[in-house]
Amino acid sequence: MKKFLILIFLAAALSAQAERVQIVTTYPYIASIAEQIGQERVRVHALAGGQWDPHTILPKPSFIARLRRADLLIINGAQLEIGWLPPLMNQANNPKIAVGSKGLLDLSRFVQLMDVPASVSRAHGDIHPDGNPHYYLDPANIPILAQAITAKLIEMDASGTTLYRKNLAAFLQAWNEHLAIWDSKMEKLRGVTVIEYHKNLDYFLSRYEIKIMATVELLPGIPPTSKHIQELEEKIAGCKVCYILQDIYNPDDASRHLAAKFNIPMVKMPHDVGSVPGAEGIFALFEEIVRRLTHD
Amino acid sequence: MRSKLYTLYTLSLAALTAGLLPAQETQSGGNPFAQAKFVPDISLILDASCIGRNHSDEAMERLVLPGFTAPEGNDAAHAHGSSNGQRGFNLNYGELVISSIVDPFFDLFLVCDLGEESFAIEEAYFTTRRIPWGLQLKGGKFLSHFGRLNSMHTHQWDFVDAPLIYAGLFGESLLNEKGVRLTWVAPLETYFMLGGEFSQGENSMSFGRDGFSAFDGQIDVKGSDGPNLVVAYAKSSVDIGHLTLLGGLSMAHGKNRINHGIEEGEALAQAGYGTTTITAVDLTLKYLFDSIRCLSLQAEYLHRNGAGDGWFIEPLAERLFVSAPYEQRQGGFYAQMVGRLNKRVRMGGRFDRIMQNDGSRPGETASMPNHLTRYTAMAEYNPTEFSRLRLQYTHDRSLYEATAPGYIQKPANEIILQINLAIGAHGAHAF
Repeated sequence: MKKFLILIFLAAALSAQAERVQIVTTYPYIASIAEQIGQERVRVHALAGGQWDPHTILPKPSFIARLRRADLLIINGAQLEIGWLPPLMNQANNPKIAVGSKGLLDLSRFVQLMDVPASVSRAHGDIHPDGNPHYYLDPANIPILAQAITAKLIEMDASGTTLYRKNLAAFLQAWNEHLAIWDSKMEKLRGVTVIEYHKNLDYFLSRYEIKIMATVELLPGIPPTSKHIQELEEKIAGCKVCYILQDIYNPDDASRHLAAKFNIPMVKMPHDVGSVPGAEGIFALFEEIVRRLTHD
Repeated sequence: MRSKLYTLYTLSLAALTAGLLPAQETQSGGNPFAQAKFVPDISLILDASCIGRNHSDEAMERLVLPGFTAPEGNDAAHAHGSSNGQRGFNLNYGELVISSIVDPFFDLFLVCDLGEESFAIEEAYFTTRRIPWGLQLKGGKFLSHFGRLNSMHTHQWDFVDAPLIYAGLFGESLLNEKGVRLTWVAPLETYFMLGGEFSQGENSMSFGRDGFSAFDGQIDVKGSDGPNLVVAYAKSSVDIGHLTLLGGLSMAHGKNRINHGIEEGEALAQAGYGTTTITAVDLTLKYLFDSIRCLSLQAEYLHRNGAGDGWFIEPLAERLFVSAPYEQRQGGFYAQMVGRLNKRVRMGGRFDRIMQNDGSRPGETASMPNHLTRYTAMAEYNPTEFSRLRLQYTHDRSLYEATAPGYIQKPANEIILQINLAIGAHGAHAF
């Protein structure tokens, strides 16, 4: 009898597992938000690892297997995935998550994008015609994304509505509490000038009115030339630069050189959940960004 | 607020209907039938090269891959066909790609091969978007997904030219047929894919449908009607940490019509008809050191088994032919290693070898050279992902001159500087 009960319990547990909404996200930060909203009703898997350059993820065949079984695919959008996701979606050929179906959620549709280019030409490097796609690094955008994910989960799994709403409320409350702390910590950096390697942190920096003097890379996606470094040196000489912000995946030799020459601290900045030790969730990611800039 | 606006709106509507206010245009004119936003993705790829070689162009045209190709001038394709054919400057191709979603049910792709004085449809196919259960149907003219390399376009290759065994079995333009393909991706944690193709089988190197007639009808073979070729494959992949492995097994089986210059009755010419089966095993390993640096190893072994009835022109007596059953047992592999050192620089080497090259007819052992070998090294400089300069050096010991007494080896050394540029909306590449 006991064994029988255990079997029934196991079967029930297994079927509950099977009924979970299978969510695939392109990047780990989306997975972190989706897990907190969906909790036990969803199974979330992020394709890209946080340590990789989000523009050039290797399109592994194992991603096809993930996409094949997904009920919902949540993407960053704004063409951040253009270089790796489309052929995977074509090969997985899952009608549930195809372009135009309700199982594809493009988060960039919910936020205002910065730097939308007036004209598009590859003479300007690897630009994104829809605007800067790194919008999720503005902490004020995260609640909007959480709401969009909640609305989608309710649309796809109406019986979990109460739970999703409850989780969203808890998430938003915690987020606002953290945001207040981050805002107060960042206050002392308001108005300073920095140099970025890539235009990764523009949304975060503009929130705190931190000026971006230049980028270390020549043009988006194009590594610096020696002429460009020379020009940067001339610019830095006449200006007070607080930090050189370097991402974790591009070579840092040029930033290192500038930092040493002008005695400016170079800070390695996390760009996604899992990119550095200590940035294990969406809260920890921003915690870590603020900590690295303010040292407290 | 909203109700106030609504009141204003109804008031102005009332004024409008009463003829007190003229209607205001909210948007300025323009063509009400404009369809500009429906423009499909269009891209153009240009490939050009500069070549230095130890053989003159004329001498090169006479060289063959014994047991696989015939001298140029015959209809069979040659390892150094239209692309990179001449010493000096070559305009190899312009590739025009047009693709778009058709409707909720189909995607359409068109790949045109633009030559200096030619236009050819390289690929034109649809794929389905809405079939459930992991199934996808593809139809039209397309590169077969046989093996690892075959489905890749020339500009995706890691080297300027195709591996020896591919060029020998399928020609430089690989196995590219009109037909349909059905694939199934298994609903597993691990990637596992099964696919099958049913196609015309017009590839003149291994299959072919065209009949031939020679020696005043003494040799007369009717063409075969399509579909003539069946291709099947299974592919699977696993990730182990930063290492990704992809492996596959493939098979192609169809009727063949081989005709290497039988009409002209040249020395060593041959023709035949029967069936051909080609099997392949492929393995790719890619290791990522970080976001930028990676090392990939790729190897494939292909084997052809052909049999049927044939005709052979005696080497020393032109216009004299014997009729006999023939058999082909040929196999070879390539193994290549390519490393990406930084965002701009890639380097690699490739080793090609055909180690089985047996063709037989009764009462005679084949005299075709075995151990056809080629060494290739390349270095690439990619200013961006849209432009590529590649320097490739090849030491080729696979080429022979077919003379009346037999084959004479003519080792070739070749250096190629290639430029490849892409403009427009070009789609990302698969793994």
